[in-house]
Amino acid sequence: MKAQSKLYVYVTISTILLAIIAVWSLNTGVYDFGGRSAFEVLGKVFSGDSTLSMSDKYVVWDVRAARIIMAILIGSMLAVSGTSLQGLFKNPLATGDLIGLTSGATLLAAITIVLGGHFKQYLPEAVQFSLVGIAAFIGSFLSMLLVYRISTSGGKTNVVMMLLSGVAITAIGFSITGFLIYISKDDQLRDLTFWNLGSLAAATWTKNIILAVVLVISYLIILPKGKALNAMMLGEKDAQHLGINVEKLKKQIIIITALMVGSCVAFSGTIGFVGLIVPYILRLLFKSNYAFILPLSAVCGSILLLTADTFSRSIVEPSELPIGILTALMGGPIFIAILVKFKKSMS
Amino acid sequence: MIKAHQITYKHKEFHILDSVDVQLEYGEFLAIVGPNGAGKSSLLSVLANEVKSKQQILFKDKNISDWPVKELSKHKAKFSQHNSNDIPLEVKDVVMMGRYPYFDAQPKQEDHEAMNKMMYETDVFHLKGREYNTLSGGEKQRVHLSRVMAQLQNEIAHKLIFLDEPLNNLDVKHQYKALEIIKNFTKKANSAVVVLHDLNLAAQYADKILLMKSGRVAAYGTPEEVFTAEKISEAYNFPCTVCDHPITHNPMIIFG
Repeated sequence: MKAQSKLYVYVTISTILLAIIAVWSLNTGVYDFGGRSAFEVLGKVFSGDSTLSMSDKYVVWDVRAARIIMAILIGSMLAVSGTSLQGLFKNPLATGDLIGLTSGATLLAAITIVLGGHFKQYLPEAVQFSLVGIAAFIGSFLSMLLVYRISTSGGKTNVVMMLLSGVAITAIGFSITGFLIYISKDDQLRDLTFWNLGSLAAATWTKNIILAVVLVISYLIILPKGKALNAMMLGEKDAQHLGINVEKLKKQIIIITALMVGSCVAFSGTIGFVGLIVPYILRLLFKSNYAFILPLSAVCGSILLLTADTFSRSIVEPSELPIGILTALMGGPIFIAILVKFKKSMS
Repeated sequence: MIKAHQITYKHKEFHILDSVDVQLEYGEFLAIVGPNGAGKSSLLSVLANEVKSKQQILFKDKNISDWPVKELSKHKAKFSQHNSNDIPLEVKDVVMMGRYPYFDAQPKQEDHEAMNKMMYETDVFHLKGREYNTLSGGEKQRVHLSRVMAQLQNEIAHKLIFLDEPLNNLDVKHQYKALEIIKNFTKKANSAVVVLHDLNLAAQYADKILLMKSGRVAAYGTPEEVFTAEKISEAYNFPCTVCDHPITHNPMIIFG
């Protein structure tokens, strides 16, 4: 079987798996639909059944479905951003949260919330979200530039520098965000806390539409780059000899990952490790073939985050566990595993 | 094919290349030889458009930096001296990279054919399912030779290949095999610029020799013209004798 048709098989299988998890997730929760399944209720929402009570519709459509779609969009983008960053830095430890993009995004988003709180009531919802989103994008973009400048010279990345500049940016971001929390008003405070923990509970359809637009634009540019990222493993000069415009590729990855990480942070806060876990697992199966792991991480990121989110809102019902706890629980050991492997290859 | 006039390349006021002229005809095998630090690799980098020099380099009568990157990759390829040691892919995936200029998402039949053909020729076909990172130095070298040659398997006339010390780490058999592959390539009106260390192999295979010393051209011409005891011992600062090769009748250089 040709490699490419194998890819289609894997994408199809994982998409079916994602659909099954979505159905399970829709049915998971404390709300009682009066004996009917949530799926049935969702069908009535679509068919416009007038016998449906407002609260049933609200729970299925505006709470659960919106949240599921958000988990799918955010998980996918976090995983793809991680995979593309790893291609750019040629290292499996490069992810938005570890190199400080997430902190940079949080910082600027927090500033926008606290300062923008004064004229919040005059702006329509979509504009508010967009402003926070744009600020988060700028934050992650600036962090990205800083990390790249510090850690990479002549096409070679110094991994220690990359991770340490991430630590530095996170420290700066943490202190300023802490200061903002200190001076902020009550309702802003709630918004800020939500960011630091990371949650999908605030999902709305407006946010999902913005995220979907970002996702489509980003993927049109970045998903066909699998071959180019493979060639980058040969070194930048050899990639150039293979007809790849390396400078353009790097610029595209920097801008697109900043855009994806920024939008994810703006709407769901800091959900760590997704960009580390998904490519790590895919690499175990497909080596580092980006032509495979880039498109597959788009689907598997959704699977991971949706599963984690469904667990986070169901294991301590009716309360909810911050989702970051679950992803960090998986991501931490994988981080260590990569470090151990890295140490072996260094010696 | 390629014309470069008075190339000068400096790094921090130190002349790495100083007024080097290079001219290459269709079907020519040019070997660049010289002692360490003579500027052989730098010259190759400048010619292959890896680093920009102030002087123009004409490739097929057009400034090489004006060529579209993708189009250029079908006309010329380069084999680098320092190949990456960490490519977590299978051998066939690495060789297939040579075909990247030719397909978008899915390799075509001809891409698989070109890949298999070059893997046979460079004797790495039996390794195709192996992980690249587990190969020995010489095997890796052959994988990259295979990749670079696969890149130039097309219908375009007059292609150009640059090879920077392609024989490193290769055993005797594979050294000859690699040179045969390059020689066959140039017989089809393609050209090759190869940095070599073994002067006897250069004498046997190259049409023209460019002997370099301290960033300058010490001698240029056919092997018979360049490989004289006087010129070689001067360039390498080491005594040598040149005699007639009993079988090929090329110059044979014996050092010491």
